[in-house]
Amino acid sequence: MSEGEEGPASEPLDLVRLCLNEEVYVKLRGDRELKGRLHAYDSHMNLVLSDVEETIYVVDDEENDEGDEKIRVEDDQEIKSVTKKSEMLFVRGDSVVLVSPIEKS
Amino acid sequence: MAGHNMAAPGFSQSYDPFAELSRHDDDADALDFEDTYDGLGDQLDETDDAFNDDTFGGEAISSSNAPVGRDFDFFGSTAKVANAMEEEYVRFNRQPPAPRAAATAASTSTNYGLPGYNQASYPPRPARTGYEKYKDPEPTADLQVDASIWGTAPKKAATPAAANPSQYAPPPAGRKMMSLEEVEAAMHAAKPAVMPQPQVQAQHPPHFASPQPQVQFQSQPPPQFGRQDSVDYRYQQPEGQSQVFQSHDVRHTAQAQGGPHGHPITILQRPSSKPVPAGPSMSSSLPQQQQHLQQPSMSGPTQILQNPSRMSGDAARMGYPAQPTHPMHQMHRSQNSFSRQPQAVSHPAQLPAMSDQDKATYLEAEARRAKRNHKIYILSKDNGLMTPHDKSFITRIQLQQLVSATGDPNEYGTDAALAEDFYYQVHSSLAAQRPNPSQPLNNFAQTYLFQTGNRHGGMRRHNRGPENHMQRMEQQVQRAVEAAKNKPKNKQLVIEGSLGKISFSNAKTPKPLLNIKRTESGTEVNRPASTHHRTPAATGVTDRKVTLRAIESVYMILMKMEDHERTMPPLANGDTDQESVERQSEWQLVAEKLNNQLWDALKVHEPIGANAVHPFIAFISYPKGKKVIPRVFRQLSHEQRTTILTLIVVHLDQLDVVQGAQVQSGEPINLSAAMRESIEAFSMAVMPCLFNLLNDTELHIVTAVLGIIIQKLSIDTIARTRIGISMLTMILSRAEIIKEAGLANEQAWQQWVVQFNDFFNHLEPTLPNIFPGSVTSGEDVYVWQFLAAIGIGASPDEQQRLVLAVKDRVMDTVALSKTLPADMAKQRLDNVNLFMRSIGLDVELLQ
Repeated sequence: MSEGEEGPASEPLDLVRLCLNEEVYVKLRGDRELKGRLHAYDSHMNLVLSDVEETIYVVDDEENDEGDEKIRVEDDQEIKSVTKKSEMLFVRGDSVVLVSPIEKS
Repeated sequence: MAGHNMAAPGFSQSYDPFAELSRHDDDADALDFEDTYDGLGDQLDETDDAFNDDTFGGEAISSSNAPVGRDFDFFGSTAKVANAMEEEYVRFNRQPPAPRAAATAASTSTNYGLPGYNQASYPPRPARTGYEKYKDPEPTADLQVDASIWGTAPKKAATPAAANPSQYAPPPAGRKMMSLEEVEAAMHAAKPAVMPQPQVQAQHPPHFASPQPQVQFQSQPPPQFGRQDSVDYRYQQPEGQSQVFQSHDVRHTAQAQGGPHGHPITILQRPSSKPVPAGPSMSSSLPQQQQHLQQPSMSGPTQILQNPSRMSGDAARMGYPAQPTHPMHQMHRSQNSFSRQPQAVSHPAQLPAMSDQDKATYLEAEARRAKRNHKIYILSKDNGLMTPHDKSFITRIQLQQLVSATGDPNEYGTDAALAEDFYYQVHSSLAAQRPNPSQPLNNFAQTYLFQTGNRHGGMRRHNRGPENHMQRMEQQVQRAVEAAKNKPKNKQLVIEGSLGKISFSNAKTPKPLLNIKRTESGTEVNRPASTHHRTPAATGVTDRKVTLRAIESVYMILMKMEDHERTMPPLANGDTDQESVERQSEWQLVAEKLNNQLWDALKVHEPIGANAVHPFIAFISYPKGKKVIPRVFRQLSHEQRTTILTLIVVHLDQLDVVQGAQVQSGEPINLSAAMRESIEAFSMAVMPCLFNLLNDTELHIVTAVLGIIIQKLSIDTIARTRIGISMLTMILSRAEIIKEAGLANEQAWQQWVVQFNDFFNHLEPTLPNIFPGSVTSGEDVYVWQFLAAIGIGASPDEQQRLVLAVKDRVMDTVALSKTLPADMAKQRLDNVNLFMRSIGLDVELLQ
């Protein structure tokens, strides 16, 4: 199981490289998540994903006028998630918060 | 004036103004005093002023801040010191003279002027007990500074940064005591007093001194007290009080150059404190001071003051506020720091004023105090003699002694690595020598432990020459380490009464908790195993990462190889072009190297069975691992490809597309999308490669492959998967092709037939179950292909068994096809026909 000439990952993106062609979970700014197959990335964390399932978490605007919105959110579970599916997606890197491989069960 | 201590606090205040004045005297005889006065006020040296507090004792309305003018606080600051002194006098006066009256008598006689003065000056301040100041160590420190200053004072005398002479010349300072008119009068009176200064240099001291005392007497004398001490002292010199100073005087006389620069301040002060003897003694003391001025570096006091911190420390330890009446004490003071004589002198003078009882108690207390002081003095007379530097030096010597004392020359350690864990060595040596904690530390331990602390403390407190210290410390440590090396090296300690041996350890060779003796051969066998093999229990995450990394490196190498391919030089066609041949061989070398890298990265050569899953099998379990195989195969030699084929076949049941893709006959096929995808990828990427490879192989290899499957694998498992069936089909059909092409010799063919028969026997029970899903699912093409491949190669007997085994499925499919649209029905029947025709039949016969 020796690594041969290939040492351990010399930079963080080497780990992302390992996820190429694999299913990844990507967390984005703006309460969005993506799950899809990683096809390409670059140093800006621009990503190309295929078979993407995008989840957007939305807080119901109903109670926004009142100050205790957050509390209501917790109590009434007013977070809604919207799911979209895309065959192929280009993700601009500046919104990427994290990239994680999905462990296949 | 070079070499004197600029930082020596305070004395510049006393002398500078007059030095400045005397300089001006050189310029003109007729100086306008006012001009001189105002101009010099601006020249005040702020740096020196910073020590005004030290000089005058207290928060000091510092002259550096306050504008210098006619309202200058002539004595305010000084008065604070003076007050403190006064209070001391008061205290002394209340008590009868101590038994050492005789000792003080000498000084008393020299200070005969003082008692009267003290009594005269005391009444103005009866309201103030002033003991709060006395309790405070501050006044003592101030006074001490004053006294020490005296020694170096002459050096500063000519410093250009001078205070205004008028500050001292007219001493009307006591603001509270004098009216404005008085102040003015004093100022006017000061004019003539200052003007005669040139005459001082012309050796007319009496003339100069005479006007001055008058002014000072009219005004407030106390401010002069601080300096008075020193003046007194000087007066004592001629009378043989201080041997040291006398010799010093002699020295100065020898070096005397007839200095033109008089020292005005002493002249001014002397009359104030000692009006009566001023005239006669002036002539004797003045030359001394002038010589002082000329030869500052040669004077005793200067040398002492070059280490002022030590001096003051000394003085503080000696407890100056106490009665300095002991002769030894006096001597010490005169040698070191010109302590206050007036206190001792004034003290007996006050005795008569006290009651008998007071006298008795006082004497008793005084005797006790004297005794204590003497003791303190005896103990402390050498205080400060050693600098921290000296102390550390001594400590080092001690350490060295320890080293030589404790080191055992007989057992000389060879372990140079001990230098790395010095502290551990020390610790262990201490621990080894003191097995019982309650046992006292031995000499080495004690000295070492306690001395180190001191040494470090001393170093931290005094930063003088840190590098030097560091160097020596290093040397010290080195020596200590050497000592540690020389320490008893016995690895074990047998304590009396204990049942076993205690083994020592150090950082390099830890104490073995388990001592298992291994044979050399055992080590040889075990070591590569432990280093080379990952334990089967290695975490899946690590395996996953390793595999992924391997895949990435394979891709990298492949890209390099493909790139390298493009740079392949044109083949030298029979030409003996040296250059192209060289280039060719060079390219070949690189290609080989890359090939080796690729081969390593594929991990095909990892030992079989060492891991739960062979690295290569894990490799092709990833979609991208599968996809890379065609590209890999292009780069590999036939041999390498065959190896891969063999590897895959051997692990056929471990392939993800086999292991997780079992399908049951008659049940709906429930494979996950991912698995279907995986199977598809394998079929598309890997299978063609293997197929192509197999098409190039000899029959004996095909036979061997089939043999492996039969021997090592569960045919039932394989036959229930699409990939497994495909693989088998591939093998069988290859054998058939070889046979039909007539490429196989009889012997090889016989071997194949034996192998095939064996295989068929293994397969037969599974045959009814190899069809995926129900008849309707329509995903059984590959199975019909497989059956056809079997059917072709099978003996008539085997064909019959084959038909029996799959008859139901054939009938079902034919029945189903009748219900299907024509094109679909035809497709189904064609599938079945693949098999039927292989055994010489046709579905048409069944309809």
